Amino acid sequence: MSKSTTPTVRPRNRNLDQLQLLLPIMVPVLLISFIPLVRGIYIGFTDYELGGQMNFSGLDNYRIMMQDSFFWRSMGVGFLWTAVVTALQIGLGMILALLLNQGLRLTSLYSVLMLVPWAMPPIVRGLMWRQIYSPDTGALNLILTQMGLIDNPINWLASFEWALPAIIVAGVWGEIPKAALFFLAGLKTIPSSLYEAAELDGASAFRKFRHITLPMMKPIMAAVVSLSFMWNFNAFGLIWILTQGGPGGLTRLPMLAAYEEAFRYGYVGYAAAIGNVMVIIISIFLFFYLRVQLKERTG
Amino acid sequence: MQIMNIFSGRMLKRRISRFLMHGLILVFLTYLLFPLIWMISTSFKPTAEIYSGIPTLIPEVFTVEHYLSVIEEERILISILNSLYVGIITAIIVVLISLPAAYALTRYKTGVNKLVMGWVLTSQIFPAILIMIPLFIILRSLHLTDSLSGLVLVYVVWDIPFVLWMLQGYVKEIPIELEEAAAIDGATQGQIIYKIIMPLLLPAIGAAVLFAFISAWNEFFFALVLLKSPDLTTLPVELARYTGIEGQARTGPLAAASFIATIPSIVLFAILRKWFSSGALQGAVKG
Amino acid sequence: MNRMISWILNYKGFIIAGLLSVIIISFYIAGEMTAHNRTGEVQTGPLRFLSLAWQEDAVKVVHEITDQWNQLHPEQQVEIIQGNWSAVHDFLITGFETGDIPDIFHYESAIIVDFALRGYLADLSPYISKEMQEDILDVNWASVTRSSGEVIGIPFLTASSIVLYNPDLFAEAGVTPPTIENPWTWDDVHAAAKKLTIDRDGDGVIDQWGTGLGLRNCANVLMNLSISFGGSFFYKDDLGDIEVRVAEPEKKLIGTLARMLFEDKTMAPSGVGKSGTEMIPGFLAGNYAMLVSSGAWARQQLVENAGEGFHWAVMPPIKAITQSMGINTQTLSIPKSCTRQAVAMEFVQYLLSAENTTRLALSDWVLPSRRSSIADPRLQDVASGWNIVSQNTPHLSVGPWVGLPGYVEWKSRVANPTFQEFFAGRMSIEEVAERIENESTSVLARYRVRDLKW
Repeated sequence: MSKSTTPTVRPRNRNLDQLQLLLPIMVPVLLISFIPLVRGIYIGFTDYELGGQMNFSGLDNYRIMMQDSFFWRSMGVGFLWTAVVTALQIGLGMILALLLNQGLRLTSLYSVLMLVPWAMPPIVRGLMWRQIYSPDTGALNLILTQMGLIDNPINWLASFEWALPAIIVAGVWGEIPKAALFFLAGLKTIPSSLYEAAELDGASAFRKFRHITLPMMKPIMAAVVSLSFMWNFNAFGLIWILTQGGPGGLTRLPMLAAYEEAFRYGYVGYAAAIGNVMVIIISIFLFFYLRVQLKERTG
Repeated sequence: MQIMNIFSGRMLKRRISRFLMHGLILVFLTYLLFPLIWMISTSFKPTAEIYSGIPTLIPEVFTVEHYLSVIEEERILISILNSLYVGIITAIIVVLISLPAAYALTRYKTGVNKLVMGWVLTSQIFPAILIMIPLFIILRSLHLTDSLSGLVLVYVVWDIPFVLWMLQGYVKEIPIELEEAAAIDGATQGQIIYKIIMPLLLPAIGAAVLFAFISAWNEFFFALVLLKSPDLTTLPVELARYTGIEGQARTGPLAAASFIATIPSIVLFAILRKWFSSGALQGAVKG
Repeated sequence: MNRMISWILNYKGFIIAGLLSVIIISFYIAGEMTAHNRTGEVQTGPLRFLSLAWQEDAVKVVHEITDQWNQLHPEQQVEIIQGNWSAVHDFLITGFETGDIPDIFHYESAIIVDFALRGYLADLSPYISKEMQEDILDVNWASVTRSSGEVIGIPFLTASSIVLYNPDLFAEAGVTPPTIENPWTWDDVHAAAKKLTIDRDGDGVIDQWGTGLGLRNCANVLMNLSISFGGSFFYKDDLGDIEVRVAEPEKKLIGTLARMLFEDKTMAPSGVGKSGTEMIPGFLAGNYAMLVSSGAWARQQLVENAGEGFHWAVMPPIKAITQSMGINTQTLSIPKSCTRQAVAMEFVQYLLSAENTTRLALSDWVLPSRRSSIADPRLQDVASGWNIVSQNTPHLSVGPWVGLPGYVEWKSRVANPTFQEFFAGRMSIEEVAERIENESTSVLARYRVRDLKW
């Protein structure tokens, strides 16, 4: 009896064949991704504190959370940040992608240059923007003073008025390249024949965009918006380096609040509970958003 | 006559609009590139000039002292080597093991697909910081703490969702007739995957390699927590050492080291650009 | 037979997966069980010492001393792990949680207090030599000693505050600086600041301010200054619990600073959001005649970054009711899980000998904890301000907040935000008092439930 497999007969033992192929990733994923995740979620239902015992505590953490004004404040900051950064990065990313799709000269050079923010390690981005926003030696103040736009240097990252806009500018800056890259790839899948047909019908650039580009980009926009929403809501490193959540908690995003709870104050169980709540919130948003997107496509 | 054409209505409109578009791109690029340019400029200024409060793009006194001081510190060179090692190995491994998986998910339609896709999504949602400690404990029981291999293992797993997503869409595009022809000729599944499919996926693989390398190169927190030996640091962790208590910073050397830290990724972009700027991501966006 | 073989071959994928899962899960469970039982294992290999030395000189000194030790003790080598202040906290926390932590680590007393409350740190008192016990200042010991007598770290450097001033600007304005024998009171400061606040080019914008004060970490600044006003925000109530009150002394302190900032307008408003480090470029540029509540380490920045012809000096601490100031100490600690505590302490004693402590203090420009080091002639130098720094010794004090469970959270959630808003001009002193007293109760209550004793 021959030992060779006969792959052309697909239906036979499909599950097993597939599992065999998935084995190389299943094992590490189980270990490194799945088990810690389950454990992390579980910790959110305990009263674990650094140096203490881990006791199951049911929904206690969540009851406390409902009363915790700092938690609600950080959620508010989180939503504001996520909404603004996502909207800006999608909008600006789309515009940039459209520009790069026009077939102008030097486009391939521009496409590489625009990826520079992505090339920088997040810690470099953070330290660099902190330098730029630095009150006395930072580029922003120096340039604005030279141009005569301001008299006194503004302490951007410590100011109650400017801290949030300042970190938003830095955050959007880091996210535009990826968004533009994906949109550009998506734009290139749209057959030019559609545009040519529209031009023959005398459509303006704006109409072409609205009736051809946008609908065809809907799936990729949905994907990018979903991913961006998740990543932005979970943002941590950049903002921590820039403001540590200050001034006065004005820029304390949910992840910063969770980090402080766990690493600074020692309430690991509570911090994990915050993490669980963040997951639920993001899931709810994604559910409704994608449902709407799906309806629009089929409807 | 030619000159008249240049100023004719429609061509003029086109020229102006192209001019404006170039301009708009330059505005974007200024926003995106300014911090890097400022950083490079700072790295070539002597310390006194950095603190002098005069904004100049071109240093009044050009110096390479910061670069010299960075390079003199062996630790930076070692950390660069470590980061390169981790980045390259991660990229290679994640592509090699994701390829069969991507194949399996496109060619076979079973319930497992939904499970995997579900995991791809959920793994992005949960805040990474909170799984650090359970993850560390697992690595310790595998005796992989304080080792670059442990770091590679973790990075590989973290990159799988995205790489799968990218490869999957591209695998879909490959006509199944190619495989069936090979199978008739007696090829095993392994041979089909690595000898036929893989070469056709090179653009997507290029994009995946890029993504995996940059993610590994940039990662800070887990590298900080996992690696304790003096010789095992990665570049981001070393960069953090340029800031001291009370937020002091050795600004000049920090700028120089930061620029050095950015170069590999930019080089990779330039090399692989022909792959991802055209078709590589199309597979992902279609899928 | 053949059928069985083909059955196994077909399902081999499954079997392998199953076996692997079992192996992995048992690994995991095993790892979990041993996670917190690290004390049993005796470690071999070099002792790992986490150093936070940052200034080039300090790093050099630490390495030199360690090399000397390694030469003298071939059987017990010490390996330096170079940490950095901004990332060390996470490094240590994850280290404690997973049992994989250096044998000796450098950190500060304000934070290791929390580590001690969580049971992470070894009691060093059995190992401390008499010589060290007597040579280190009592106030330093107070920052690391629990009520039970347990010592959680060896203090070797003291973060004290100084007042820097620009003698040229003083001379120009005809102001005579104070001396150690005749220090200034805050009223003297107000008067001098008025003379030193000048609009040089007459454009209506003040170019030179009498005083500059970095108020970004205002909680620390206020806590440390409050002792000299006779009140320190933390009081023991009738039950022996600590509560937070903003009483007359505290209001006087806040009022003093507010007067300079809002009424007299002799304090630079730009200092409100800046840390101590960020104030230095302005001082070097001549924007402030005096820099209040600066760290002693700031002198190193001045020496390194000052331009030609720039002069600076240190004045004695300003007198409110007293000249006392709160301090923070830099410490070396050993985790409880370390299996070689005695040997590790031998290294610590070596590293922190009188001469070595002096060298470390000089290289970091910070006050040492040892009397003999403070008396060293190198720390009496006038030009570098060392004489004033070392003569601050009688004024050093620790606040009642040392060892208070929840102090870190209190500073971050209640004190800093409230004071920051106040100094931004968005609140009145009464509102500050009310908000701090109310919020402190709820924040500290969380910790009271845990019944931790310092």
